[in-house]
Amino acid sequence: MPGVFDRLNKEIENKQKDGGITPLDLVELSPALRRIMKIMLRELQMTYPRLREVMDELPEAERLTPASLDEALVALTEQFWLIRIGEREKAIYKVNLKRKAGSSLANGIWSSLDQKLKK
Amino acid sequence: MSKGKIVSIHSFRGGTGKSNTTANLAAQVALTGKRVGVVDTDIQSPGIHVLFGLDETKMGKTLNDFLHDKATIREVGFPVGENTGDAEGRAQLTGKNLWLFPSSIRGREISQILKEGIDFNRLNEGLQSTISEFDLDYLFIDTHPGLNEETLLSIATSDILIIILRPDNQDLQGTSVTIDIARSLDVPHLLLMVNKALPKYDFAVIKAGIEAQFNAPVAGVLPLSFDLADNASNDLFSLKYPEHDWSKALRGVAEAILAAQ
Repeated sequence: MPGVFDRLNKEIENKQKDGGITPLDLVELSPALRRIMKIMLRELQMTYPRLREVMDELPEAERLTPASLDEALVALTEQFWLIRIGEREKAIYKVNLKRKAGSSLANGIWSSLDQKLKK
Repeated sequence: MSKGKIVSIHSFRGGTGKSNTTANLAAQVALTGKRVGVVDTDIQSPGIHVLFGLDETKMGKTLNDFLHDKATIREVGFPVGENTGDAEGRAQLTGKNLWLFPSSIRGREISQILKEGIDFNRLNEGLQSTISEFDLDYLFIDTHPGLNEETLLSIATSDILIIILRPDNQDLQGTSVTIDIARSLDVPHLLLMVNKALPKYDFAVIKAGIEAQFNAPVAGVLPLSFDLADNASNDLFSLKYPEHDWSKALRGVAEAILAAQ
């Protein structure tokens, strides 16, 4: 029988498959959302209290108020650009990048290439 | 927050000397006692491993293995300081804290990436983990020329972006595009490096012209050099020939990296 950890892992995997941000999307984000995503890209995952601390450490001009941060986190999790595990103060946020698609060339071309490269 | 700085080296067009520059810059920074990593994210056409004396027979686990969950990032890190070989320049790195994270040069593994795509969560995890696992001060990322998603990801996570260009109109136009994107991604430190400048021109004039055109600092203007071409990636040129003009100018770029806070 799957445990809590397995179920959470499965939930994360499903959410990751559903979406994710592309590096190109980052260019289009508002400065506030981009600031959060850039921090998350470097840290990979963070607890909500830690994210608040990191925001407080930013220069004043770049800092988000707690309300703006919460609003931004809602927007980012709705898009599955961040994945939230847990609720409120206990929440952990994890960055979710969209997989780079493989080639759209016909499969036959790849299997033929594979055969040749085996030699 | 991570203490290590990410330095992405990029050029809009191929042939600018990006891998050569990246390897030499990483080596110069490692010589100052810093802990340095070099990742080859040019998965489609890897090459920087050659400058560190690696070939297919010596290459162990690669970034491709990490991306396919067949290796940890620790297994991928190749300790250059313990494997300098007998090349005169590289030998100076003996005992230095420099690791290379190579991409595979096996045809099947390159085609697999092209066919299946890339798990960017895994790639980003790998890039960030190198810093924490190896306690790096600097992680240099050698990118694929032009703009693709891997490059954008590395630019977005960079503390320092170095764009290499030649004094050529095709490069100048392409660089303008890259600079626009880097500014959109709020890269903290953007530096330009001019490579393969014809020695007959006044480098101060080239520097001033490019800085005015792009409103960005030029960290160095490096000459077009037959000596460098003659080295044919057999060794780290700036270590082997430290008094060469190319090497002196490159050290200026390394100093600009170390000065960026």
